[in-house]
Amino acid sequence: MSQLSTFIGKRLLWLTSIVVVVTFITFWLLNLLPGDPCTLSSGSGATEENLARCRDNLKLGSNLFVRYFDWLTDCLTGDFGESYRNGIEVSTILAQKLPATSWLILYTMVLTLLISIPLGTIAAYRRNSWVDSTISTTSFGMLSIPAFVLGSIMVLVFSVQFKWFPLGGYVGPTENLIEHWKSLFLPALTLALGSAPIYVQLLRADMVENLEENFTAAVRAKGLPTRKLIFRHLLRPSSFTLVTLAGINAAQLINATVVVEFIFNVAGVGSFLIDSVFAQDYLVVQTITALIATAFVVLNALVDAIYLVLDPRVRTRKLT
Amino acid sequence: MKPHNPNRIRPTLLVGLILAGIWLAVIIVFAVFAPIMGFLPDPGRFSLNVNQGPSWGAWFGTDEIGRDLFARVVWGSRLSLLIALISTAFGTIVGGFLGLLAGYFKGWIDDFISGTVNIMLSLPALIFALLLVTILEQNLRNVTIAVSLLSTPAVARIVRAQTLRIASRGYVEVAQSIGATRLRIIFREILPNILPVVLSLCFIAFGIVIVAEGSLSFIGKSVPSPSITWGSLLASGRGKLEDAPHLTIYPALIIFLTLLSVNYAGNVLLNRASRN
Repeated sequence: MSQLSTFIGKRLLWLTSIVVVVTFITFWLLNLLPGDPCTLSSGSGATEENLARCRDNLKLGSNLFVRYFDWLTDCLTGDFGESYRNGIEVSTILAQKLPATSWLILYTMVLTLLISIPLGTIAAYRRNSWVDSTISTTSFGMLSIPAFVLGSIMVLVFSVQFKWFPLGGYVGPTENLIEHWKSLFLPALTLALGSAPIYVQLLRADMVENLEENFTAAVRAKGLPTRKLIFRHLLRPSSFTLVTLAGINAAQLINATVVVEFIFNVAGVGSFLIDSVFAQDYLVVQTITALIATAFVVLNALVDAIYLVLDPRVRTRKLT
Repeated sequence: MKPHNPNRIRPTLLVGLILAGIWLAVIIVFAVFAPIMGFLPDPGRFSLNVNQGPSWGAWFGTDEIGRDLFARVVWGSRLSLLIALISTAFGTIVGGFLGLLAGYFKGWIDDFISGTVNIMLSLPALIFALLLVTILEQNLRNVTIAVSLLSTPAVARIVRAQTLRIASRGYVEVAQSIGATRLRIIFREILPNILPVVLSLCFIAFGIVIVAEGSLSFIGKSVPSPSITWGSLLASGRGKLEDAPHLTIYPALIIFLTLLSVNYAGNVLLNRASRN
């Protein structure tokens, strides 16, 4: 057990150092800007007195590391500062924008699994048949369609031509559940079709391997029907790589979410980030980047932990 | 029956490779010779055929002020491909060099390089590219730098793994035992052996960069207007989906075919190169 705690301790240390490095890089990048945030935010009509107060607030006089440390402690206590644009607390705005993004990511994951589990399973079960090669070819093709292209085509086909879905926007689940689903279906599908091909390929590979295992032959010899064989005995051991992948894929997913929210005008964190980029609201851009990076690193660590729980073999391999 | 030759590429794969090669050659020729061939982004004279679908006069149709979309796509490919080429070259050379160093010297050099690479790979890179372009000025040089940061770590990681593999081979040990210098071993023994992998990685890095630059310019944060790239053309079609769907369809198709070609070539070549 002590082995396990050293392992966890090491991971936590690694995790913290990455978060520090990453947030510091974001913080430092912002210091490369010509001028200081106060002149940028106050505009041309600012008085010397106002500027001085603002500089004092942001402690622009002290050195980079001191300011970084102050900023970090503020962030840790939930104080992300205010937007330059309208003086609203960044944390308040984030609280408004977070639900849309969270729902979008949740639906994306559900859709990804709904698409990739059946396709990966069929491809493995009927391996080297025309079904398998059709699925592989299509997956490979899908990987060559970036989110901004796929999203544009989705809008064109399903919103403009068929008018099945709204052109964009976001409706909260409490306002109108059906409209909520409608508003997020296309964005989630765009994102899911981007990650599903990788999931399909991996699930297929894992499953093909497991289909040749002795336990599969044993289960078959006992006369279990195929459906039960697949769902009861093959899906779990075949899903380990998938879980790890979900973590690695999260970076891609976050990148794509920003673009997809922009295409479909979903009022989430991603489109807020882009708005702030255009409004040159640097503090907000910095905060969101740092938050996303941190969330991402933590997510990856969690995935590692899940992997450890799922597969006992890895537990011993990783610890020793 | 002839013995199976593992070095031969299967005929179906070969056909795919040739098609991919032809497509890439065509877009590069068009991009390079666009001014000579008369494909200019803005013909200067405005046509009355506004938002028209494809025709013999304008293969991809015309945009909202009557400019030929085909000419604009060709013109846009100049910047998209230029950025992709420079970034790929940068990513492959720097990433390859770092991977080689890490894989050959191991120890703290490897720890440092692999650590940095892992951090870079574990971050949502597009968001950092966006941050970089926002903070630095939004121009060709900075966009190229920002997207280069995306391809470099991926190349470094694979080259490192390959170097580790090659460095443990017998002939490297033999070279060491007869007193070859490290430099000689790296450049004469290891580099030639990992070169096929590095070259096939070029295609994959090229694809990553095309997507990254495309996303940036789609958002409107790549090289600023009036310069055009594939991503910005696609973005400018967004508001006119109702009247002029061709403004979206053709740029999308061109991006797709290009990515398909580089990904296909990259995968087939990489499979082959890493098998040997």
